[in-house]
Amino acid sequence: MNAAPARILVVEDLAAQAELARIFLTSLGHDVQIAATATAAFDIARAWQPDGILLDIELPDYNGLELLKNLRQAGSDAVVVVVTATASMELAKQAIRGGAEDYVVKPYNRDRLGVTLRNALDKRGLDRTRRTLETALVDTRSRLDAAEVKLSRKSYAGFIGASPPMRAVYDILQGVAASKASVFVTGESGTGKELAAEALHKMSPRAPKQFVALNCGAIPRDLLESEVFGHVKGAFTGATADRMGAAKLADGGTLFLDEIGEMPLEMQVKLLRFVQTGTFTPVGSSRPEKVDVRFVCATNRDPMLEVEAGRFREDLYYRLYVVPVELPPLRARDSDVLLLAQHFLAVFSAEENKGFTAFAPDAEALLHAYSWPGNVRQLQNVVRNIVVLHQGTTVTAAMIPPPVNRALLHRAMVERATPQPAPPHPSPPNQSAPEPAALPPEPEAAPLPIPSPPPPAPPTPDMLRVDPEAEILPLAEMERRMVLAALLRTNADIPRAAALLQINPSTVYRKVSQWRKEGSLPEGFPI
Amino acid sequence: MPIDPGFAADLARELPAADYLRVLDLFRIDLTRLTGEIEAAAHAGQLETLRRAAHGMAGAAGAVGAGKLEAATRIVMRQKDADMDPAAIARDIRGLADHTLANIDAAIARAKAGGDAP
Repeated sequence: MNAAPARILVVEDLAAQAELARIFLTSLGHDVQIAATATAAFDIARAWQPDGILLDIELPDYNGLELLKNLRQAGSDAVVVVVTATASMELAKQAIRGGAEDYVVKPYNRDRLGVTLRNALDKRGLDRTRRTLETALVDTRSRLDAAEVKLSRKSYAGFIGASPPMRAVYDILQGVAASKASVFVTGESGTGKELAAEALHKMSPRAPKQFVALNCGAIPRDLLESEVFGHVKGAFTGATADRMGAAKLADGGTLFLDEIGEMPLEMQVKLLRFVQTGTFTPVGSSRPEKVDVRFVCATNRDPMLEVEAGRFREDLYYRLYVVPVELPPLRARDSDVLLLAQHFLAVFSAEENKGFTAFAPDAEALLHAYSWPGNVRQLQNVVRNIVVLHQGTTVTAAMIPPPVNRALLHRAMVERATPQPAPPHPSPPNQSAPEPAALPPEPEAAPLPIPSPPPPAPPTPDMLRVDPEAEILPLAEMERRMVLAALLRTNADIPRAAALLQINPSTVYRKVSQWRKEGSLPEGFPI
Repeated sequence: MPIDPGFAADLARELPAADYLRVLDLFRIDLTRLTGEIEAAAHAGQLETLRRAAHGMAGAAGAVGAGKLEAATRIVMRQKDADMDPAAIARDIRGLADHTLANIDAAIARAKAGGDAP
């Protein structure tokens, strides 16, 4: 009969009835307090937080129903059992509608009270469990929803892309945006390093202030200090007035130093002092100025290799390389190629007043197959080229310009060079292989300004032959051997080796650096 | 039936003797206090106070199974001012309350003498 011990508040103005309830409840193992008025009951309930309340409706100061309402409004979730005389059953029912769990009719005995209270407390326990589970479910659902949003995110702060490497970038940008920590963005040309810097600024509390971008590689060495720190009138020939530099302009905002690897060493010393102290001295001035700037730097080189080569100060590297963000090359972004292409197609079609809305499957296949050494910028240029030079609603393979259409050419040559299996029905030789005339015409416009490795020699039938007896090696080892072979053949000329391999020189740098760390470079290797 | 004999017997069975006596004694005190409050309100012509006291008495009478006393007080609670005869109410309630109090006294005496039943 005994329920788990609970704290029960008896609200009863009749001394005998209250004492009887106390005796019964104590004998059932409960902890009991008694309130003779509604006011006292409210105060005790707030302070003592009982599990259950045995509530008489007829109270001297105000009605028990009103007390129940007040308790619920005050957040009490105590289970309430109303005590009533037979004549006030209607009131008891009203109390249940008002949030009481049950009622017990006077005069009651110990068993009746015990069963009623135990049932009510059990129900409350179940309700609490249900509420806990519901809360957990809602929480889990919201976290799943958030994860789903993240996973299905196709764009973020100006970036287009839903591939796993880009989602990882989004996570880092989001995580670091609000901080003042310096961010070092690396990635091949055209991967969106400035876009990342702008995104960091826009998502940070510094967004109302200026985002100042400076390309260290594009500014003559003599002018770089003045561009960063400004100058005073007469500082040098031509300095006819005071001029604010990027550091001052970016006060309270973000200073983006692109191609930081190109910064001369003597300027790196001054930048280091600025990064360390937040103060700088304009050229020609003797008065230092203090600003609050967040630094975002970028380079398409491996910054550690630059440090090792002595072209970048190690102390500056460690000051700036606080949060690294590595932007993946487009070839590592898989499905993003079509997502980006579709985005650019819509944008440029609107800009050029053209009707393109989609890519044909063969065009998509070409875009997908290409390695995009110029990354997103190259894809952007290719799509603009198509939109400018062609008409229609669907981009076909024939509209894709070189070198992206090389796969088409390659396939055509393979099909011509490879002996054809006997056709199921007699047919003229080479009927299925497309003639050169069927290849997509190259656009007559000037070639795109895309940095691209030289095209390889057209494959010969010998090159296309597969040797089933060849030694099978792990792909990573094959890659290592091919890269090292290319370096040996070019006397360690990395750009030429990269051109042979049709990859970006920075990729060769990175791989060689990694192999050196791993100790997997052959002894005496010339790099 | 001024007090429910079944209820008193149940109480006597369920509670230790000391608790039983204490509860009966408290019932006695409640009834005495409420009867006095009803009489004072009736004498002063304070009808609202009279109704509130009758309300309390109804609960107390219901709690000990004093059905007639409970019914009488509930009638008072619902009466309009114009229909009220405070003096008659006080007299009727006093009569019923005294009868109930006598029963309680008897139960207390029996309990003290060692008997259970009212």
